Amino acid sequence: MAENDLSKRTLSIKKTFEAPIDLVWEAWTEPEHLAHWWGPKGMSITIVEHNFKVGGRWKYVMPMPNGSEFVSEGQYSEIIKFKKIVTSANFRPMTEGVEIRVLFEKVGDKTNFVFSVVHPTEEYKIQQEKMGFYNGWGSTLTRFDALLNTLKSMS
Amino acid sequence: METRRDVFQAIADPIRREIIDLLAQRSMNLNAIAEHFDVTRPAISNHIKILNECGIIEIEQVGRERFCKIRPDHLKQVSDWIGKYEGLWIQKIESFEKYLYQLKTKRKKHGGK
Repeated sequence: MAENDLSKRTLSIKKTFEAPIDLVWEAWTEPEHLAHWWGPKGMSITIVEHNFKVGGRWKYVMPMPNGSEFVSEGQYSEIIKFKKIVTSANFRPMTEGVEIRVLFEKVGDKTNFVFSVVHPTEEYKIQQEKMGFYNGWGSTLTRFDALLNTLKSMS
Repeated sequence: METRRDVFQAIADPIRREIIDLLAQRSMNLNAIAEHFDVTRPAISNHIKILNECGIIEIEQVGRERFCKIRPDHLKQVSDWIGKYEGLWIQKIESFEKYLYQLKTKRKKHGGK
């Protein structure tokens, strides 16, 4: 698969963490830490499965306010300690059939970090991007903000 | 069977969303609204009825005319709801970063690992 095709299907977030790589790796991969940051603010998650090895599965469940569940799950296909994690992932009911690639790079006491979501097709990526799963339900929210501002100025 | 009457029901239909957009600019009577669409007047009338029941618009009788007017406070529920899911990935990474720094501080206090 051509790399430029891949880039069209990928959404990425890049960061440099002010923390050494062993700590970043530990916080990202160990279940006792996961529970502290995976879920949105104020939501608790249940780690049903966390088998951190190539071929191992993971599954986290988060109860939703309306009584249903938000399920995140996948299977690791590549793990290189302090460098790379690749896993398939489903986030039901919002995103399905994506691949998550996380790259780590030690830079002295800091850690470069790249988080990518690779979508099965470019169309799916664009749709997810529009939904704002990546950067905020962008267009929908902007549209509603504009509408609300119009309304405010009227009343 | 449409029994649900809330703001999400109101915006579920594309024509109703267009009506909301129109009324956001100014109040209009039914005829003026219907002129903007290719569907029948009774169909528009039904959409107006639903929007009214959902609390999105109010209907004001002015002489012989009935004017439809937006009620912005109810629409705000929609943007509030959407806001909760804003930038899920970015939030996740930020939440990870925050936790990471907490962990780092904690480890330092305890003399490191």
